[in-house]
Amino acid sequence: MKSVTGNDLVVIGGGPAGIAAAATASSLGLRVALIDERVTLGGQIFKRVGPGFDLRERKSLGKDYARGSDLIDEIDRPNVTVLTSTTVLTIEDGKVITSHAEEGIRALDYRFLIIAPGAYDRPVAFPGWTLPGVMTAGAVQTMVKTQRISPGKKIFFAGSGPLALAFSAQLIGLGAPVFRVIESAPFPSPVNALRLLSRIGGNLDLIRDAAKYRSVLLKARVPFKYGRIIVKAEGEGRLEYVTHAKADREWNPIPGTEVREACDALCVGYGFFPSHELFRLVDCAFEYDENRGGFSVIKDEWGATSVDSVFAVGDGTGVTGSYSAVAQGRLAGLQIASRLKKITEEERDSTAKPYARELRARNRFQSALNKMFDVGAGIYRLADSKTVICRCESVTRGAIDPIIDSTDDVSVVKGISRAGMGLCQGRNCQRHIAAMIADRHQKPISSVSFQTPRFPVKPVEIGAIADDSVREEKYFIT
Amino acid sequence: MSEFLVGYLSNQSNHEDPPRECDVLIIGGGLLGTSLAYYLAKEGTDVTLIEREEINREASGTNAGSFHFQIALHQLTPNMTNSEKERLASEVRLQVDAAKLWDNLEQELDADLGVHFDGGIMVAETEEEMGVLRDKDEIEKSAGLESHILTGDEMRAFAPYLAPDLAGISFCPREGHANPLLVGPTYAYRAAERGVRFRTDCGAESIEVLTGEKHRFKVTTNKGVIKANRVVNAAGAWTGELAAQLGLKLPMGLSGLHVNVTEPREYFLKSMVQHIGRRLTLKQTHNNTFIIGGGWPSRPEPYPKRYSNIWNSTSGNLAVALRVLPMLKDVKLIRTWSGVWAYTLDFKPILGESERIPGYHVAMVPTGFTLGPMVAQMLSEYMTAPKGSVKLPEEFRVDREVA
Repeated sequence: MKSVTGNDLVVIGGGPAGIAAAATASSLGLRVALIDERVTLGGQIFKRVGPGFDLRERKSLGKDYARGSDLIDEIDRPNVTVLTSTTVLTIEDGKVITSHAEEGIRALDYRFLIIAPGAYDRPVAFPGWTLPGVMTAGAVQTMVKTQRISPGKKIFFAGSGPLALAFSAQLIGLGAPVFRVIESAPFPSPVNALRLLSRIGGNLDLIRDAAKYRSVLLKARVPFKYGRIIVKAEGEGRLEYVTHAKADREWNPIPGTEVREACDALCVGYGFFPSHELFRLVDCAFEYDENRGGFSVIKDEWGATSVDSVFAVGDGTGVTGSYSAVAQGRLAGLQIASRLKKITEEERDSTAKPYARELRARNRFQSALNKMFDVGAGIYRLADSKTVICRCESVTRGAIDPIIDSTDDVSVVKGISRAGMGLCQGRNCQRHIAAMIADRHQKPISSVSFQTPRFPVKPVEIGAIADDSVREEKYFIT
Repeated sequence: MSEFLVGYLSNQSNHEDPPRECDVLIIGGGLLGTSLAYYLAKEGTDVTLIEREEINREASGTNAGSFHFQIALHQLTPNMTNSEKERLASEVRLQVDAAKLWDNLEQELDADLGVHFDGGIMVAETEEEMGVLRDKDEIEKSAGLESHILTGDEMRAFAPYLAPDLAGISFCPREGHANPLLVGPTYAYRAAERGVRFRTDCGAESIEVLTGEKHRFKVTTNKGVIKANRVVNAAGAWTGELAAQLGLKLPMGLSGLHVNVTEPREYFLKSMVQHIGRRLTLKQTHNNTFIIGGGWPSRPEPYPKRYSNIWNSTSGNLAVALRVLPMLKDVKLIRTWSGVWAYTLDFKPILGESERIPGYHVAMVPTGFTLGPMVAQMLSEYMTAPKGSVKLPEEFRVDREVA
């Protein structure tokens, strides 16, 4: 294991929040190491085009691409080390342990640590969701953004929240043939719309974006329907038909309202879950906030968590979007610079002002939006007994239900059924199972506890981590 | 396969308040506690078992489910004296008995427990280790445990997946494994059928010895007071802590163990693989994943937090695994976990009734999965027979002192 020492700050995650944090901290003289598991920086929203592509017209890729480029340019400094294609496996005793195909295992020490892991698509298990041709919005976006490949010739988009609109419009803009978009939430009620309007200050750009996206759909004559939810996907060997239906307030499909349509790609985007594996591994305190994506790490206005010298920023702490993420990153960078005496508290506060203001405005707006697109419990009831819940271990709902009848403990369900023991490490099914337990035992999902956090945070080849220089102690008696 | 587990869990009375009195009160719902409850109930004893969480949750359910009938490598040294060899042989005889119990257990409990006897391989890397392996083989054979030594081409033909340059291996056909998630709960299910009252989320907070009353013990739990004639401390890793309440100092220690689990690969490794000189146990499960452990440490955490894993344990443990099975190089590690291993300072079970506190029993055994059911059966025989008619081995004495 190699050591990378002398870092004032290690930032995990090269999306908007992580890059902004690294940019601010490094501009104030901190030695920063920025880690990301992808080949290029940018995270999901600022994702770069894939290697091998020659970018001629940056403008054609849209505003977010340009915002990302500007931000990435900011960290082009000698005191910033960027480690891409590098996966964090664990954090232990003040060291971030990473793996890289050529560099092997490296341990980075730090005085401060910022964890900006981002979020991942909310997996939704409905009959047929494992068919080829059914993809999450994030996966489709990656495919289209980095490889310029459309997932199908006739794409159906089912989802919820502002990103359902944004994603589908972006896909259309990039030439992917979306033919229908459904949104599970009802058409905004006057109360919700007014709440949103009252918080519009500082968010006009988002409203403009939304209007633009809507007009993209209108221009392309793609129907956008509120209050409908995906019910089923069917096909021989791959996706051929989708069925969608009207949804009630709790997002339960209303019988008799089903519509079946032919298509070859289904893009599913029902929001995100924050990636909280690393926060749990370092034992940060959590709270439950449905609007931030469920269990969320507790942090102060600068992003400091309950664990000394560990900060949390970006969508991994609750999904609030890229503008908010950048502001969070800047604030954390400032606070750490001030704790390391690179700037005074007065300098910190005066520089922080515009970011704090922006963050407040964004968060107010976001929470109004979240109320509007509140995820209904019905989304966890779409699976039938044959539907696979844990796709790594092929465990169906029918196999899980009787276990849940007898226990409300996620670990017991996992132990007996093997759901959550596969390559995705439970990312696809654990939350679903927690929701099933909550539903069956009539208790809030916040009371269903986590499984114990364990490394590696991502699967890794044995050959990459085996270290012959580590010797065990001799046994207890000789 | 999980009907007994689910059946046990759905028993609503588990969550009721405990009875006010009973004959035997077992504290701890691990494999020892549940199997003891079964054997006692089979003889008609009135038993209540209390467990502060849920049964089978700690070491009983988190171990790898292996039967360790071969002599454990930490017991072996080069150039052993004859008396050391005789001591080890007596342990092997115990293990041979345990093998017989496991052989019959699925029939006894009328349940699938995932019991398989696929054999165990112990590898030696160096000629010095090979010498120890030969000594071990000799002791095992003398105690009635079948074992074979293979080297060179013979070894490579028998186990072509092993690194070809190993000095040699021993093979014990009797070794195998069972599913640790099923054994304890199935015992509990069968014990409950015979009238044992299980009470979970019910922890023993304090124990008092009573004098001049009908019952000898008063145990205070978070769910009320239970009076019992006899108490069995079967609290696994917490046995010593519980015994200390009554001033008993048990010769035991705790150690956190690290376990690695990989992604599944095509099934090829029938037998468990161990190393005579280094810390390694490696096997492929019936889910096709590899479980790799062997005694690498994990970090103690205060209860109720689980022991946490240590990176060096993973990287060191996996290096030993690759030395023995190089073909696992590109298999992905998915998870690690850790459990608490309770051991005794002389590696003998602590089993029986305290001489200082009559009526107070302790059941603790270092290789708890392999030997647990058997020592539970021995203790049950002792507790149900007329006083003095059944004797437990002297070296298992509860009140012994170990230097």
